Amino acid sequence: MADTLLRIENIKKFFHVKRGFPVAKTMTVRAVDGVSFEVKRGRSFGLVGESGCGKSTLGRALLRLVEPDSGSVTFDGQDVLSTNASDMRALRQRMQIIFQDPYSSLNPRKRIGAALVEPLLVHGLADKRQAHERVLKLLDEVGLPPDAANRFPHEFSGGQRQRIGIARALTVGPELIVADEPVSALDVSIQAQILLLLRELQESHNLSFVFISHDLGVVRFFCQDMAVMYLGRIVETGPIPRIFEEPLHPYTHILRDASPVPDPRQSRKFLHIEGEVPSAVNPPSGCHFHPRCPYAADICKKVSPDWHQVDAERGVACHLFDTGNTGPDYPKR
Amino acid sequence: MHTMPNSIQSSESNPDIILDVRKLRTSFRIAGEWHAAVRDISFTLRRNETLALVGESGCGKSVTALSVLDLVPSQNGRIEAEQIQFNGRNLLGLSEDEMREIRGNRISMIFQEPMTALNPVLSVGHQVAEALLYHRDMNKEEANRAALELLDQVKIPSASSRFKEYPHQFSGGMRQRVMIAMALACRPDIILADEPTTALDVTIQSQILALLGELKRDTGMSLIFITHNLGVVASIADRVAVMYAGNIVEIADVDSLFAHPTHPYTEALMRSIPRSDRDTETLHSIPGQVPPISRMPDGCRFAARCDLARPICRKLDPALQQINAGSTHEVACWVRGDHDLTAIEDRANG
Repeated sequence: MADTLLRIENIKKFFHVKRGFPVAKTMTVRAVDGVSFEVKRGRSFGLVGESGCGKSTLGRALLRLVEPDSGSVTFDGQDVLSTNASDMRALRQRMQIIFQDPYSSLNPRKRIGAALVEPLLVHGLADKRQAHERVLKLLDEVGLPPDAANRFPHEFSGGQRQRIGIARALTVGPELIVADEPVSALDVSIQAQILLLLRELQESHNLSFVFISHDLGVVRFFCQDMAVMYLGRIVETGPIPRIFEEPLHPYTHILRDASPVPDPRQSRKFLHIEGEVPSAVNPPSGCHFHPRCPYAADICKKVSPDWHQVDAERGVACHLFDTGNTGPDYPKR
Repeated sequence: MHTMPNSIQSSESNPDIILDVRKLRTSFRIAGEWHAAVRDISFTLRRNETLALVGESGCGKSVTALSVLDLVPSQNGRIEAEQIQFNGRNLLGLSEDEMREIRGNRISMIFQEPMTALNPVLSVGHQVAEALLYHRDMNKEEANRAALELLDQVKIPSASSRFKEYPHQFSGGMRQRVMIAMALACRPDIILADEPTTALDVTIQSQILALLGELKRDTGMSLIFITHNLGVVASIADRVAVMYAGNIVEIADVDSLFAHPTHPYTEALMRSIPRSDRDTETLHSIPGQVPPISRMPDGCRFAARCDLARPICRKLDPALQQINAGSTHEVACWVRGDHDLTAIEDRANG
């Protein structure tokens, strides 16, 4: 078993927002509400969920791009949240992020070469001449021509920009990359190019990924483990493909079956799904998923389910699973 | 050079065909020069059929829908066609007034982002009733009553209490339901749905697709469903047209297309999708990218990215042709089509 590179324990991040008119009331958005998981070295951990489930906030919180309210993040044995500013800078060389839309994270008036050289200089990893050579090598690694260094962000297509985003993350030689929906904005043929590139780089650089996505197909392809989030909480974790073959949480089951697959023989049946994702401002009592759950019992409305570690690899937060009272209809393949 | 397949030949004689588009070419003026975004495409739509137009960004699928409704900006856009026959009537050359009688009435449209398509300062009930006031001889009270029924029909919970609410008070999925209610208001023959579920979460997408399927069954309307998602195509389409760089490269019944993807582009697309229902050992990526509209190559536009390309592919443009005699599965490809390639290459070479 590979060793643990990143351990997240009971991370919480609440936002306070003012809503309402004419008298605004302060409300609390429980974006991430007590989340724990582990990422093994050299592996990819998928974070899956629908919009507003808190997966992006979690990705930023573990890098301290937003400061978590409580909990702990341990990276290679080091406590990330109590690290001071100068040590944090050193740590950031080892933990990087790729965004969904690399265009908005690039300075439109800066040539790609200059943008990629900057982190090397900031972190004191190279002098100017070395930095330039490193950048050319990086561009080649991500499949861009050397003359890309002299061009501006607007001159590139979406797929090429994501290659630039990947090159930027790689400049400082990270061990962990948080990839936040890195292929969601791309056409499928380009998406495949980027996924293959990431996989190749993962091997050559021994990278670990926290891979945030709403696309189960992409996660199944790229990751070895995953967690499903719903309204700020993890409802299920497990290895791939076991979690797809036998989902334990009703939400995982529904998410899997709602994901369209390119096969008309399988896709014709639409499952009946109740309701919409409720607001994280005022989440339902008990198990957050109970209003949409076809198996919800009384206890689900009142009590938030405890985490149930099924075996060394799998866990689920569901009362029905706890009590074994899953009935004949309970999701099984 | 090629024979017109039966499905295209017979529109006037076939009352089953609601829309018959022939040789549609829509061009845009870019830096003073005209470039075709949709290039001589032909397709038919049957009554109560769902035709999916599928392809990647910029392939011309949205422009095709906009062209049918004559919604291409006339300053920098130009629509040409042999015909756009709707219900036996050619839409080409109709006046703006006549087109207005068609739009939203006989053919209506649903867009990807309902928030930008809805008016933020009008209540949703009012917006649904609007089409009825305009196209139907109804007073306000009747239109409101009909609008409420429509909101019920698209399954907006407690529609009567939400009738006077505004778009911002609705979630993305509910806004899309409002859009569908508006499109349905006049009981159109055709709904053009342009990526209607792309901005939605998968569980909501599944609800909207189920709703559209039900409405199509109950009202007998036809649907042109534009999407880039082959999974969505598989779940909703009866027939599929795959577009690449302004051309239809393959058109077939949904089962036939997924069982026998024949154009190299269709095949590559299918192999580039990571699937959630089974393990994908390797993905097949398509090298390169779609050529820009101002620099389209001669011959088949996919040739530069195609593993099977032969010299002829870079010279001559292949037309849609049945994959074998009598088939409704058509493909535009020199290599995979039913051609005597040697003879054609000999002729091309002189």
